[in-house]
Amino acid sequence: MWLPILGLLIGLFIGFMTDFQIPDEYANYLSIAILAALDTLFGGIRAHLQDVYSEKIFVSGFFFNILLAAGLAFLGVHLGVDLYLAAVFAFGVRLFQNIAVIRRILLAKWTSKNENLEKN
Amino acid sequence: MNKKQWGFTIITVLIGVMLAVQFKTVKNTDVRDTRDTWQLREDLQNEEALRLELLKEIRSQEEKIAQYENNIDANKEEVLRSTLDELKTEVGLTEKSGPGLILTVQPIAEELIIGSQVGRVTPDLLKRLVNELNRYGAKEVSIGGHRVINSTVIRDINNITKIDGYSIQTLPLELKVIVENEDDAEQMYKRMQVSKSIEDFFIENLTLDIQLAENKITVPAYNEPIQMTDMKEADKKSEGGHS
Repeated sequence: MWLPILGLLIGLFIGFMTDFQIPDEYANYLSIAILAALDTLFGGIRAHLQDVYSEKIFVSGFFFNILLAAGLAFLGVHLGVDLYLAAVFAFGVRLFQNIAVIRRILLAKWTSKNENLEKN
Repeated sequence: MNKKQWGFTIITVLIGVMLAVQFKTVKNTDVRDTRDTWQLREDLQNEEALRLELLKEIRSQEEKIAQYENNIDANKEEVLRSTLDELKTEVGLTEKSGPGLILTVQPIAEELIIGSQVGRVTPDLLKRLVNELNRYGAKEVSIGGHRVINSTVIRDINNITKIDGYSIQTLPLELKVIVENEDDAEQMYKRMQVSKSIEDFFIENLTLDIQLAENKITVPAYNEPIQMTDMKEADKKSEGGHS
């Protein structure tokens, strides 16, 4: 449970400490990739809570979604269509749905725990 | 369980790095200093020159203050008058002479034979020319015997080019340009020889003849009252600021 959070903090630390920066032109791609990554992350958390978590699906989903999102954005730039909006929309909606499911599961767990305590 | 968590952790580390990089990229939008040694040297030189000029100005102001303080009882009026004269000279209300160039705008001779219309000196042409002269270090400029000061307007009124209300219709038109010293005059002469203004005038069927004045030339004083309706007193806090 705590290991992933620690990992996130370590990642943030590494990112801020190293003087690594991407050119401005690619900032758009990174932002869309981050959105995809967040979507996958919350999807993973949800799957974890629903006990359907599979590492293969999670890891492949992570990289595949990022590549797909960045690829869409790239294609969009070259076609003159704002295709990255499709990715933003899809990932945004999924992000909200996943977080809603996580919230419900946590709430259900919490209430059942309370009921158990009361029964005891 | 542990194996599961490792994959998750690696992914979260990756997400963390991405987030941090994105944060930094978005935040760091300020322009990097990409000047090389020569540019830096040049900029430094410019700043030094500016500093020298400012120091000179400070000294003259301090002298003036001292003068005021010394003569506070004796001849206050004279000091005030000298300051007033100085300011008048600076604004352009006095005649001024010095080394410089004489530019003459004339119609193209051949064109007269063919019979096509002789061009008109448009305000844009004049403005461009004056801007160019100022860029090359002109101190005082007069166009057709009218002094150009900071608030001079060159514009088109009913198809007649007017400078501060005086129409410019007759050709040849003579422009007098005074610069700091003779070296500057020569430099400006050379620069004007290859200036694009000559071509611009040629498009309008006019020639721009540039001559280096052998003797000192004199520009007349600005002879109208200066209107300052839009001027405001400078904010005390921003005093002494320089771009």
